[in-house]
Amino acid sequence: MTINPDLKYSKSHEWVRMDGDVAVIGISDFAQDALGDLVFVNLPQVGDDVTAGEAFGDVESVKAVSDLMSPVTGVVCEINEELLDAPENLNNDPYGAWIIKVENVTDTEELLDAAAYEAHCAAEA
Amino acid sequence: MSELKRTQLYNAHIAAGATMVDFGGWEMPIQYPEGIVAEHLYTRSCCSLFDVSHMGRLLIEGPDRVAFLQHVLSSNVLALDLNKAQYCIIPAEDGSAVDDAYLYQFEADRFLLVVNAANTDKDLAYFAPIVKNYNCTIRNITAETVSIAVQGPKSGEMLSVLAGGAEVTKPARNNLSTMDLEGHTVQIARTGYTAEPIGYELFLKNEDALWAWNRLLELGAKPAGLGARDTLRMEGMLPLYGDEMGVDEEGKPMPIFALALAKFAVSFDEAKGDFVGRKALEAQAAAQAAIRAKDFSPEVLAALPKRVRPIALVDRGVMRHGMAVYRNGEHIGWVTSGTMIPYYKTEGEGENVKLLPETGKRAIGIAYIASDVPANGEVEVDVRGKRLKAVIPTKHITNNVPPYVVPVLAK
Repeated sequence: MTINPDLKYSKSHEWVRMDGDVAVIGISDFAQDALGDLVFVNLPQVGDDVTAGEAFGDVESVKAVSDLMSPVTGVVCEINEELLDAPENLNNDPYGAWIIKVENVTDTEELLDAAAYEAHCAAEA
Repeated sequence: MSELKRTQLYNAHIAAGATMVDFGGWEMPIQYPEGIVAEHLYTRSCCSLFDVSHMGRLLIEGPDRVAFLQHVLSSNVLALDLNKAQYCIIPAEDGSAVDDAYLYQFEADRFLLVVNAANTDKDLAYFAPIVKNYNCTIRNITAETVSIAVQGPKSGEMLSVLAGGAEVTKPARNNLSTMDLEGHTVQIARTGYTAEPIGYELFLKNEDALWAWNRLLELGAKPAGLGARDTLRMEGMLPLYGDEMGVDEEGKPMPIFALALAKFAVSFDEAKGDFVGRKALEAQAAAQAAIRAKDFSPEVLAALPKRVRPIALVDRGVMRHGMAVYRNGEHIGWVTSGTMIPYYKTEGEGENVKLLPETGKRAIGIAYIASDVPANGEVEVDVRGKRLKAVIPTKHITNNVPPYVVPVLAK
């Protein structure tokens, strides 16, 4: 399992990178490995509100569906449309395959740095 | 909660990095590190090994074994020759299923009945008071034996290497043989639960499990778990007890003739006498025949209100077991099995079919819905609050020409 040292993580295994004022959100390698082969993603639309700690979409593996939790509160300004046809990108390149970008960020969940996230994963494994 | 049982191959699964789950009281591999999609595709293109040792293996022995089986199974046991197998259902008196099973005659003086792992204890309890009336016995040999399914286009060639180049069974489905493979006596069945045109199930002594597993891996087979087993059987419309058999979402018994394959699994031959469920099954069979002839009159639909059909999502999404199905706003049944299933794109036809390197995936499954929905009829599925468009195709694959399964894509 890899943890990107430059990212912040939620306890529900999403990662966040701030590009200026825009929060870029994806899921961690730990998350994609636990979910297994991802075969479908449900994404919000540009302009939708998202709320820290609440679901903004979901991902489906062969066996089950799992919510995607937003680490921030704000407005969706871009979605990664490639994932609609190629959800396996989340498995193959979890830190490259971002899911949504959020602007007007007004609130952020308590996020973990890479070291704290590694400890969090170790405790869950 | 009692301790989970483990098969002889448990350590091999752990060493291979399998994710283990509780399945019918057994600790079984749901997938290996390559994942369900890769395992599904490798079965379709080459050859996969499945540890199916958790399934219940029962030996029926004694002078009255045929009479007993004729009474409790749906099939005509007298029509089963030595070294042949047949699919059958264990009917309840009301014409629903206690379980489904496969009956093998490897030896002239006994039958091997293989039942679902999760139902083994239930089946034994169901048989116990009945078998008392017959001069025969049921011996549970599940713990003393192992079973490995070897499935896919290369399965026959790989097994034939172990047999010194000989064919391991006659080519058609349901043929059996007992052979010496590299010094190990193995019972081999040309059967399986993947819908592969070429596939085998091996029955071995416990001490031969690792030899067979490792030798077949050396020859290029890869292990596949219960996850791929489920997507493979779903694509082939092979029913699973608990999904397409048993009781529906409202707890109502599902008639055996809701399944298209009941026609082949149920015999009304005179030799079967008054077997369990016969009367109910005769009424269901008549209704199924009428529905096939497009007779949707009220009496017919009352006798067989719902049938098990393939279903394919047209809108984007994924269907799952238990989701409601609608036609013009009217609730007409449920999805019984569904997920996103990968497939190889193909070119050519019949014996000349080639698998292309490109793969696709499709949200397909099985539904238990109103009997009068026509072929290619349009329905809607409630996918977590959204009504998504779906169709009822006639099949998801063709598999009548070896060696490859060919996907039939819904329009």
